[in-house]
Order: sequence, then structure tokens, then C-alpha cells
Amino acid sequence: MLAQRIASQSLRRPTQTIDSDEAAHQILAKQRLNRPVSPHLGIYRPQITWYASALNRITGCVLSGGFYVFGAAYLVAPVLGWHLESASLAAAFASWPVAAKFLTKLIVSFPFTFHSFNGLRHLMWDLGRGISNKQVQVTGWTVVGLSTFTSLLLAFM
Amino acid sequence: MASALRPTMLRQAFAAAAPAQRCFSTAMPAFRAAQLARQQPIKSAFVRNALPGATRVAAFHASPARAILPPLPQVIKGTVNDAAQVPDPTPMHGSYHWSFERIMSAGLIPLTVAPFATGSLNPTLDSLLIAGILIHSHIGFESVIIDYVPEHRMPRLRKLLMWALKAATVVVGIGFYEFETNDVGLTEAIKRVWKA
Repeated sequence: MLAQRIASQSLRRPTQTIDSDEAAHQILAKQRLNRPVSPHLGIYRPQITWYASALNRITGCVLSGGFYVFGAAYLVAPVLGWHLESASLAAAFASWPVAAKFLTKLIVSFPFTFHSFNGLRHLMWDLGRGISNKQVQVTGWTVVGLSTFTSLLLAFM
Repeated sequence: MASALRPTMLRQAFAAAAPAQRCFSTAMPAFRAAQLARQQPIKSAFVRNALPGATRVAAFHASPARAILPPLPQVIKGTVNDAAQVPDPTPMHGSYHWSFERIMSAGLIPLTVAPFATGSLNPTLDSLLIAGILIHSHIGFESVIIDYVPEHRMPRLRKLLMWALKAATVVVGIGFYEFETNDVGLTEAIKRVWKA
């Protein structure tokens, strides 16, 4: 009798019945914390395919950012007493040292040429052309070469 | 006697070999993982790429140090067994929107090339260029906000940024209207500064 009771007690497992939605919810939330998390970009090898794509967004944001800053600044310029007319901007820029002028032009022209040429590549992909890995690599390096060359050309103008 | 001992000896040999195999699996005691991490400091991308693929994969799974963000607090909408909500398909948020974006981008090509190709400037084309750049920029910034400020995690910041962008686009549009009416136009202004 006693032996039987001990045996039945030792067989009892610590189970729990989930009777409320709230408890089930809690368990699910806890399980989800153990799911794998998307890796950060840093684990990927630098390749022209995704580097050019990232650079396309960065150059676009730089150009558009400059465009927005100038447009907004021009609107508030009379209130704040700034002189952003093209004549005074040109006069101010002319007084800079040659190296600073060249560098500034390069900083502006490279995003412009890169985003323009790479934009053509993106439009080509949107038409479903040149999507093979090899083609993406070749056109990617072509764009890097072309945009570097033309931006230097523009900076020397 | 010797034959009776042999299986025991074999078992010991296997026991000694097992940890070496285990270090390539994810199920690894914490102290072993910490040991491995101490032995293998973070290497440069070049060294990592020089290693064979399987070794890199194994090392990634075995090391506790990884460039991975910790999981955010998990929020579950509805009950446990609800399916994920799929938004209603509408061409205004799908194909029409997509085509409009591409047409805007492609439209900028002739407007950008024209001043370079003809060497002359036209106020109408210049205004069209500015309008095109403004819309293209607005679309671009919109995509950036959508990509980096997810609605399910930061709904209020998303809404705030979207309205801020709309306001900025209007302000910049008015600014360039002033610029086009009072100054020499965008293309000519860039030329002036460039040749200064």
C-alpha cells in the first residue's frame, strides 16, 4: 500500500495546463526571444553587388539632402539676412583656394555622376535586363570607373 | 579479462574525441564557447575570407561574439494562432506607384542631359528639372523612412517623419519657386558657381 503510493507519487510529472490566453501569449513571447535574429551587414563580404546598391542610396541622399537644404535656406534667407543669390555664391566661391574648390567640386560631382550612371543600371534591372551575377559585377565596376572618370573631368572644369 | 576491458577503453577514446566534434555544432557548453572566443580574436575581413567556407560557418556558430543585434521586446498581436495580416492589394500602392517612380527616374535622364548636350538653357526645362528632382527626392526619402523606421515598431515616429518630409518638400518647392522667379535658374546658377 505504502509502496504503491510512493510509486504513484514518483511517476507524477510536473505538468501545467495552459488555461488562459494570457499565459499562452507569455510562453510564445518567451519562445520568440530565442529565435535567431537577422545578422548585421558586417558579416557579409564586401562585394560590388551590394556595395554599389548601398552607395546608390547614400549618394542619392547626399544630393537630395543638399537640394533640400539649399531650397529651404533660400526661402528663409531674406528673413535671416543670408545672401544665397547665385551672384554672391559665385563671388564667395571664387575667393576660395584652388585645392578647396577642386575638392568641393569633386565631393559634389562624384555623387551626381555615380547616382546618374547607377540609376541607369537600376532602370535596366527594372526592365528585367542584366540581372545575372556576372552582368551585375561587370556593369557595377563599369559604373564605378565611368563615374570616377567623369566626376574628375567635371571637377577640373 | 582483456577482451572484457576493451569496450570500456574504446568508450574512453570516443569520449576524448567527442568535444572536438562538438565544437562545430551550435550545442556547446558556455565555458567551451568562451574558451574558443578567447583563443580566436575577431579577425580582419581578409583573414576571414581566406579561410575555407565550412570553417568560417562553424566558427560563426561556435563563437558567442557576433555582429548581431539583440532581439527587441517581442510583441504579438491578437491570439497565438492568428495569421499575419496581409494588406489589401491595391494598384495605387503597388504597380501604379512603382511605375510612377520609374517614369519619374527615367524622365530625369533627358532633363539632365539636355543642358549638357545642347549647351543652351531654357527656363521651362529648368523648372521641369527642378520639379522632377523634387519629386524624385521626395520618393527617395520616403523609401528611406519606410526602410529604416518600421511601422510596426515605431508607428508614431514613422508618422511624424512622413509628415515632416511632406512639409519639407512643400517648403523646398516654394524655395525653388522663389529661386526660379528671382534668380537665374538652377542650371545657370550651378554653372556660375562651378566656373567661378
